[in-house]
Amino acid sequence: MTSTDPSAAEAVVFWVCAFLSVVGGIGLILSRRAVHSALWVALTMISLAVLYIANAAPFLGMVQIIVYTGAVMMLFLFVLMVVGVDSSDSLVETLRGQRVAGILLAVGFGLLLAIGLGSALNGVPVVGLDGANGEYGGNVEGLARLLFSEYVLAFEIVAGLLVVAALGALVLAHRERWQPRRTQREISQERTRGGIHPAPLPPPGVYARHNAVDTPALLPDGSVADISVPGPLRARGDLRPVDTAAVAETAALTSGEATYGPAKRPVADDPGTSPGEPS
Amino acid sequence: MDAYAPILVLGLLAAGFAVFSVTLTTFTGPKRYNRAKVDAYECGIEPTPQPMGGGRFPVKYYLTAMMFIIFDIEIVFLYPWAVAFDQLPLFVFLAMMLFLFNLTVPYVYEWRRGGLDWD
Amino acid sequence: MNPEVMTAPSIDYIALLPYIIVGAAGVIGVIVEAFVGRNGRRPIQLVLAFGSLIGAFGVLVVNRTTLGLQAEGAIAIDGPGILFMGLILLLAILVALLMSERQLDPAGDAFAPRASALPGSDDERELTTRGYFQTEIWPLFLFSVFGMMLFVTASNLLVLFIALEIMSLPLYLMAGMSRRRRLLSQEAALKYFILGAFSSAFLLFGIALLYGYSGSVEFSVIADALAAEPGQTALVVGGVALLSVGLLFKIGAVPFHAWVPDVYQGSPAPVTAFMAAAVKVTAFGALLRVMYVALGGVRWEWEPLLWIIAGLTMLFGSVVAIAQTDMKRMIAYSSIAQAGFILIGVSTATAEGLYASIFYLVAYGFTTIGIFAIIAMVRDAGGEMTRLDQWAGLGKRSPLVAVSFGIFMFALASFPLTSGFIAKFLVFESALAVDNLGLVIVGVIASVMAAFFYIRVVVIMFFREPVEGSPAAAVPSATTTLALAVSAAVTVILGVLPEPVINLIEQAGVFLR
Repeated sequence: MTSTDPSAAEAVVFWVCAFLSVVGGIGLILSRRAVHSALWVALTMISLAVLYIANAAPFLGMVQIIVYTGAVMMLFLFVLMVVGVDSSDSLVETLRGQRVAGILLAVGFGLLLAIGLGSALNGVPVVGLDGANGEYGGNVEGLARLLFSEYVLAFEIVAGLLVVAALGALVLAHRERWQPRRTQREISQERTRGGIHPAPLPPPGVYARHNAVDTPALLPDGSVADISVPGPLRARGDLRPVDTAAVAETAALTSGEATYGPAKRPVADDPGTSPGEPS
Repeated sequence: MDAYAPILVLGLLAAGFAVFSVTLTTFTGPKRYNRAKVDAYECGIEPTPQPMGGGRFPVKYYLTAMMFIIFDIEIVFLYPWAVAFDQLPLFVFLAMMLFLFNLTVPYVYEWRRGGLDWD
Repeated sequence: MNPEVMTAPSIDYIALLPYIIVGAAGVIGVIVEAFVGRNGRRPIQLVLAFGSLIGAFGVLVVNRTTLGLQAEGAIAIDGPGILFMGLILLLAILVALLMSERQLDPAGDAFAPRASALPGSDDERELTTRGYFQTEIWPLFLFSVFGMMLFVTASNLLVLFIALEIMSLPLYLMAGMSRRRRLLSQEAALKYFILGAFSSAFLLFGIALLYGYSGSVEFSVIADALAAEPGQTALVVGGVALLSVGLLFKIGAVPFHAWVPDVYQGSPAPVTAFMAAAVKVTAFGALLRVMYVALGGVRWEWEPLLWIIAGLTMLFGSVVAIAQTDMKRMIAYSSIAQAGFILIGVSTATAEGLYASIFYLVAYGFTTIGIFAIIAMVRDAGGEMTRLDQWAGLGKRSPLVAVSFGIFMFALASFPLTSGFIAKFLVFESALAVDNLGLVIVGVIASVMAAFFYIRVVVIMFFREPVEGSPAAAVPSATTTLALAVSAAVTVILGVLPEPVINLIEQAGVFLR
């Protein structure tokens, strides 16, 4: 292996990660689903973490991964789940012209900051982190010394902030039980005495022609057992009609009017399995 | 380096075969879709329909989320403490113990109040 | 091989004792919530809250001569800092008296039985009849006070930011816990939270820019950097502007005032009192310290900014308050206007301005607590009656309450013989001392306009016939009565005999760096 130029390697890392982080940012804006946007953000954040580590700031890189990709992204996704993954916002403006004004102000603010910072930082010499990192044997060690000496008060009061956050979460989101907890005995008694079907429900009528959960089972008298089909399917009327010919055939076999043998009737085409029909 | 070359070749072959066969089936296999085929597979039974709003989580999980965040941030502080442990005096050890104690308080509170119960 | 073991930072625990007392009481309060049964919590929480607040105030008085930077320069315990902390603790004690009130609402205190119960649900009714109380408000309240004490003495931007969050998070929560009109209260909490988080982001951005300029978050280093090289103005101007946005939001100055009316209206009255009095004192304390200590070197950058904001705030608050028909909203706009008057003192950047601002905050803080004590008392079965016309005839039905409210109104309108008059006089005087006649003229105009709606309340109470169904003020328990009596007494005494307090403030000296 020939020795490679470190700045060349750094340039490769930069361009790969910079490209990925911009792709993540664009993906965030262009995704139609909020969950996909959140995943794009995760990509951007991980790319940034790699950049931090490559730029001699391993602590910042780890924090980026632990806090942002871990905690913050998880909260984002959690909020999406609480609100409902498929819920969509109303895009009607409640204040007229608000969106235009907001975009103009945001662009103006961004330009102002970019130009101001650009001019202020132009020509500032680049010092790098080697001096700071080398002093105590590493980036993390140096940070530890700062954090636990000069900023030890800030460190301790962060604990207070976290206590308040946890307290607030419980106060707002925890529904305290005021009725006694139902025991297993009570639950089982309620089930058996409450007129609910106590045993497992009968399985649907299974014929290996299609996904048969929508095909009801037949009771011994040939009538249809509705409870053999899941409730939601029943509710939306997705019961598959019973093949009356097959039922009659079964009845004939049972009563001895017919005997087993080659099929005497043509096999009925199953309407649900015709090719190319999506439904 | 040479010792690993066969493993590398084997890996490439395996990956190539996987990609090849998956790609091939999309071009050669018959495509006759029906509803049962495009449904999500839930152990052979028909998937129950999604509730309105796309299935919302109960806000109860927020407590778990918050606890996760708190201990996540604790790790951020524990990390430099652990790495530089041999350079830090007893004072910092005690400061960290105080910090950890303070973070345990809301955890115990949540536990005692039934915030971690499942029902 | 290994570098030397770090020397432990020097920390004077005696000097930090007031913070430690309040913070530890908050943590112990959470432990009490975890381990004590439902009925035993309230007495312990009350002991913790009053004990820690009074204890911290006592330690502060004993420690008043030990001044200096503490905890490696993270906080500055100086004369104004001690004054601000003492004022915050006193106001907090009065607010705690209001919060512990249980006689006004037939169902209990001013807070929802459980903030997590859906408004109007069976759960909520059941919890109310069972007499559940949300005792978590006490640790939250103590943490908020803890954050305030740190906020006014923070001497680096990092502690400033964390203290701001410790102060604000409990406020967001407590704003949403009203027992009556729950939806309005929750709306207030959400608005406050979202806008507050937004303003925190501005503050953080400003901190980043100032750090980028000076290479440090310490106030003293920033001040030295500004004195050494006045260049690199984009970073400084950006930093100052964004930092000011964050602080002026908490103050409720125009144009960062949008949250004030909704939040004041929706929050339970004791919490509103806390926000209107203690938060305003805290935010001004931090603004004064940041502007005078860290950014004193670029005075010419922020002085005009504060002039404009002070003028806008006074005029906007006074004009919009005239049109209000709801008592809480009117007081909210009045508090915006009052913030403008205090900003006059801040914008002078002189010691006189500092003293005038502190005196104004003392006067305003006590008056505001009295006002919200009375707003909590004027109520019917559905909660506080905040429509102005419902206050008609209060002077006949509850003369004592109406007279107290009249005193507070006269104080806010800065009539002679009330604290408000002296406060406004000092503020205008400090502005005239730096030849800022224009701002004083705007202030006088705003005062005249503001006097109109304060007097209108008095007229409604005493000279208008009561409408059907407007009962007299409810009879409060001893705690509210005590808070009301103290604030009324301070309002009058500061108007008649202001010298002792003025001397106390002027002895405090200036900020340390």
